[in-house]
Amino acid sequence: MHEFNWGLLIVVYLFLGGLSAGLFFAAGLANYLTVDDKPVYAKVARMGALLAPWPVAIGSGLLILDLGNWYRFYKLFLHFRWQSPMSIGSYLLTIFTLIAFVYLFAWLKEDERKWIFSKVPATWKQVHRLNVDISSWREKIAMVGFPFSIGVGIYTGVLLGAVSARPFWNTNLVAQMFLFSALSSGSAALLLAMLLDRKNPIEKHETKFLVTLDVVFISLELFIILPYIIHGQLSSQAVKDALTLILGGPYTVVFWVFFLFLGLLVPLAIEVYELFPSIFKGHEFHGSRRMALTAAGLVLFGGFLLRYIFVYAGQVSSFHRMGLLR
Amino acid sequence: MAIKKKRYALVIDSRKCINCKACVVACKAENKVPVGNFRNRINEERKGEYPKLSINFEPEQCHHCADPSCVRVCPTGASWQRKDGIVLVNYDECIGCRYCMVACPYDARYFNEEEGVVDKCTFCSHRVDKGDIPACVETCPSKVRVFGDLEDPTARIHELLSTRRYRVKEPQTGNGPQLYYLL
Repeated sequence: MHEFNWGLLIVVYLFLGGLSAGLFFAAGLANYLTVDDKPVYAKVARMGALLAPWPVAIGSGLLILDLGNWYRFYKLFLHFRWQSPMSIGSYLLTIFTLIAFVYLFAWLKEDERKWIFSKVPATWKQVHRLNVDISSWREKIAMVGFPFSIGVGIYTGVLLGAVSARPFWNTNLVAQMFLFSALSSGSAALLLAMLLDRKNPIEKHETKFLVTLDVVFISLELFIILPYIIHGQLSSQAVKDALTLILGGPYTVVFWVFFLFLGLLVPLAIEVYELFPSIFKGHEFHGSRRMALTAAGLVLFGGFLLRYIFVYAGQVSSFHRMGLLR
Repeated sequence: MAIKKKRYALVIDSRKCINCKACVVACKAENKVPVGNFRNRINEERKGEYPKLSINFEPEQCHHCADPSCVRVCPTGASWQRKDGIVLVNYDECIGCRYCMVACPYDARYFNEEEGVVDKCTFCSHRVDKGDIPACVETCPSKVRVFGDLEDPTARIHELLSTRRYRVKEPQTGNGPQLYYLL
């Protein structure tokens, strides 16, 4: 009887927005890590910088297409309503996307930059004035971008969490859950991209860096999902009822089997298995390509499912209709 | 006594409701609501088994909340509230993001596919402004609905709420709903 106001486009957008935030964060972090003042993860940083803006740009496009009147999206920027997460989010998203594109530009090689500007008509003099080398700004841009990437990652959760009418969302853990899921999706996507790039094969220390990053983020995410469920069970009846959606209700299998097990615990196990000998036994890190590919793919799959479950189950949850579920 | 400000509300005596749906039809006709959408509805609740059973009809529509979450979440200010409490949608500003529909605890809003905007009960503000009462209230044959101004001590609604016991739906959402159901 109930129709969903927000559908798959929103799920995809929330996933892509988070993905960009995670990519930017991982790339920016890689940019800062040096050994003896030499950037050891420059390749990771470059790959992340080149990838980061695209998912959020596509996601924003989808978001606009999802509107009832897509051409009215400019009205979002004629108002600023601090009580509306969507209003704050649309500004955050725009600023972040711009920063991510500038950061991409800062990571272009000279010949790539020249190639792009060779496609611009020579009469467009103002555009050609932008053909400058800003690679020395990389660290500064990354530093400015960090809060915005975190902001975008957390905003996708706040968008849902701020809705008091939906008890499945309206807990103070959803925002952090989405943030850490976004960050882990970002590092997994980066790992996947590096593994698939046959021209510049990934090096072992780079795999280790990204796998380690992902283990940290997945663990953080896991320790937010568990309290979300435990806390929810101890919360008011409406939240408890809402949780039946994933505890016996229609989203139980997709949550426990596909998201939590396949999308979170399995990749975590693979990554820990890969890291274990090098951390605890003093062996050298032997990253298996296949293992890393599987883990990264599963993390992305899980990140998408988390958004799917939350967008759909959240809309079903409510204060007065929950009784009908049982 | 001079009336300074207004606060419109609706009292519903659901025990009188016979589920004839005249209010639903009157609303659709008055407000030209598109086919498939409704601004008000009658919830049916069945209980028990024959011969011990009961059925309860409960009309519902926008609660014109005191602190409406739909207005709070709207990114463009298209959802807004008049000083007299009526919650409206400014169709020219609505971008159709449907955040308000997600945020409404009462599922009182619908999406007008043709116009690409969200729409809802207006308490027939065009009629109220002329001194009339909403179409659903006027048409109700069993006088379930009493519309009025809470700030007006001479209004029938004032008397009902002072002398009868009533409840509002889902007060825990903090929206301050203004549809009062008599017990």
